[in-house]
Amino acid sequence: MNLHLSPAPHVHSPQSTRVLMLNVIVALLPCVIAGVWVFGFAALATVLVSTVAAVLGELVWQALTKQKVRVDDLSAAVTGLILGLNLPAGAPWWLAALGGVFAVVIVKGLFGGLGDNFINPALAARAMLLASWPKYLTHWPAPAGVDAVTAATPLASPGSYTTAQLFLGRIPGAIGEVCKLAILIGFVYLVVTKTISWRIPVAMVASAALCGWVLGANPVATALSGGLLFGAVFMATDYVTCPMTVPGQWVYAVGAGLLVAIFRRFSVYPEGVTYAILLANISAPLLDRCFRRRVYGHEKGEKA
Amino acid sequence: MSSNRTFRGGVHPLHGSHEGKAPTRGEAVRDYIAQTVTILMGMHLGAPSTPCVQVGDHVKLGQPIGEPVGFLGLPVHASVSGEVVAVGPVQSVTNPSAMAVTIKNDFKDEWVPLNPLGDVETCPADQIVPAIKAAGVCGMGGASFPTHVKFAVKEGQYCDTIILNGAECETHLTCDHRLMLEDSKRIVDGLRAAMRALGVKKGVIAIEDNKPDAIEAMRKAAQGREGVEVMPLLTKYPQGGEKQLIHVVTGREVPTKKLPLDVHVIVLNVGTAKAIADAVIDGRPLISRITTVTGHVKKPSNLRVRVGTPVSDLIRECGGYSIPESDVGKVVMGGAMTGFPCPHDRVPVAKANNGVVVYSQREAVELEESPCIRCGRCIDACPIGLNPCKLKYLCDAGDMKRAGEENVMDCVVCGSCSYICPARRRLTTSFKAMKDKIAAEARKGKG
Ligand code: SF4
Ligand code: SF4
Repeated sequence: MNLHLSPAPHVHSPQSTRVLMLNVIVALLPCVIAGVWVFGFAALATVLVSTVAAVLGELVWQALTKQKVRVDDLSAAVTGLILGLNLPAGAPWWLAALGGVFAVVIVKGLFGGLGDNFINPALAARAMLLASWPKYLTHWPAPAGVDAVTAATPLASPGSYTTAQLFLGRIPGAIGEVCKLAILIGFVYLVVTKTISWRIPVAMVASAALCGWVLGANPVATALSGGLLFGAVFMATDYVTCPMTVPGQWVYAVGAGLLVAIFRRFSVYPEGVTYAILLANISAPLLDRCFRRRVYGHEKGEKA
Repeated sequence: MSSNRTFRGGVHPLHGSHEGKAPTRGEAVRDYIAQTVTILMGMHLGAPSTPCVQVGDHVKLGQPIGEPVGFLGLPVHASVSGEVVAVGPVQSVTNPSAMAVTIKNDFKDEWVPLNPLGDVETCPADQIVPAIKAAGVCGMGGASFPTHVKFAVKEGQYCDTIILNGAECETHLTCDHRLMLEDSKRIVDGLRAAMRALGVKKGVIAIEDNKPDAIEAMRKAAQGREGVEVMPLLTKYPQGGEKQLIHVVTGREVPTKKLPLDVHVIVLNVGTAKAIADAVIDGRPLISRITTVTGHVKKPSNLRVRVGTPVSDLIRECGGYSIPESDVGKVVMGGAMTGFPCPHDRVPVAKANNGVVVYSQREAVELEESPCIRCGRCIDACPIGLNPCKLKYLCDAGDMKRAGEENVMDCVVCGSCSYICPARRRLTTSFKAMKDKIAAEARKGKG
């Protein structure tokens, strides 16, 4: 008999990091399928390129820096997938690849790897691509079967699409963010599998719709256009870059929603979700510090 | 009978399989009497007792074989009658050289003369605590704190509530459950004796709502007994943790660095209450206990065994391992959240050993630690309100000062954070090590 002596606890929750990441990948599949349905196979190519680039990028980076290679935790795959879904269908392959590598090596790897990056890698990569090659990132192909070669996004020309079109995604936009139905399916999956709590997505979308309404926008259109829903479900909820405490998450989500409304109303870029979440990411550690739980047997705020 | 009384945080280990209790909760307690027992001198918290018998001596059942040492000292008694065959160090679960007395059973079960006090309601109240001490009673839920010391109410302190812990929130264990079903009256007697000893008016028996039959049985037994009530609690780990239990039952929190008596409460395990009743009513010392034997054994059971019975005997009594011996990966004394892994299966059962759980090699492999993904699950799970994620960095860096500021000393080492962590970080292990280090440092400072 060869007995192990590892200390308690002797059982663990079945939700390992890899299981959680796999849940996210599964939750993203409806968005991938919807993207292909709306934009054709060019969408699939873009998503695959960024995903493969992110995984390979992480593998090579971890090998070169002599770290333990941990691509099997699937976090790089999630990052690449989310980045790809944030790009226009048919974006140049090198752009998707560069974004994937930038996300995992510069934003994540250089800051110490999984858990130590303070902003969401996929979002930061998207922001970098947007700043460096704006023409590719603002060139939205129209859904397959729609006439115009490059159509105006619903944010740029509000009112030109019906709510049904907005909901099902027969509109121009990034691959993963157009079909709200697919995003909602993914959201329900994530909540049911307890991968994420409903808190951040619901609070962020509600806050954006409400604040937008105060600023004169139609709340339904606010919720259904641009990358708000996709960002709220898949990017604002990134464990690493959102607050860990429950009250911190409320403030973070409401704040991010408010920023979306403000950016959409006042900035030249109609799409403020990326920047709103990035700013909220930066505030997350601070929020966690403000909302410490009271320790059993201590008065509020008392130190040992 | 379900309840929503609970505390904040916590986890639900093995929830899908009835907390691992399904195989044994319907198994009535069976007696098993060993041929040879190895009785440890250090079964309680505090200094080990000194053996007071020699090899070749004949001892009777219940005869003192170890004398108490120091303030937390407790006597130890022979759990069988027969001949002392060895006195010396043996391997215990946690100590490679623990002083022990080994007795070969002559199966006569001849008792030493006992000193019963009789009915718990009419016996002299001032003799109850001495009887408990003389019987060698210590906490039987795991912590093994000498029970008579819990009753030492200091100047200015008082006790108004005694809580019996029948939560049995640890996974796999059903010994308290069976005890509550099969010996309900004795448990209430023990509680009443404890209440009378300190003049306490209120006794609460707290039970998780996954044991409706035990709640029913205890309610029946408590009927007509002065000041005794049964309180069902939500099934959640660590519901039976002393601090959680006190908060749920009384609404009071034990201030940091203080003891339950500082909020006028004493918590006793239901098994301890039974031992108190035996000590008072019959004058019988603590020589046996119920132990749940489960996991990969052929016939999972609840066995009433003599203190000092080797674990291998328990396994054999349960039909042996149900997997090839080479596939046995871990033999754990206690539940999955706080139990201790045995170095081999011949270690003896002590007074506080409530279970033996056998894991396969596959279940026993230590999961590799990976980077923290900052998911916050550990923070939500901690019943104390600590930030295990942050605390782990401080403990691993050996930063005693800042770990202290983050209240590591308030950690109850419940394992909830390690259980829930998707990155499999050994949070609890780090905190335990840091707590031991800080405590050792404090002792050095004093001495
Ligand atoms: S549960 Fe584990 S991974 Fe999650 S925050 Fe805590 S330590 Fe980090
Ligand atoms: S082991 Fe300590 S830190 Fe972890 S959950 Fe339990 S009390 Fe909290």
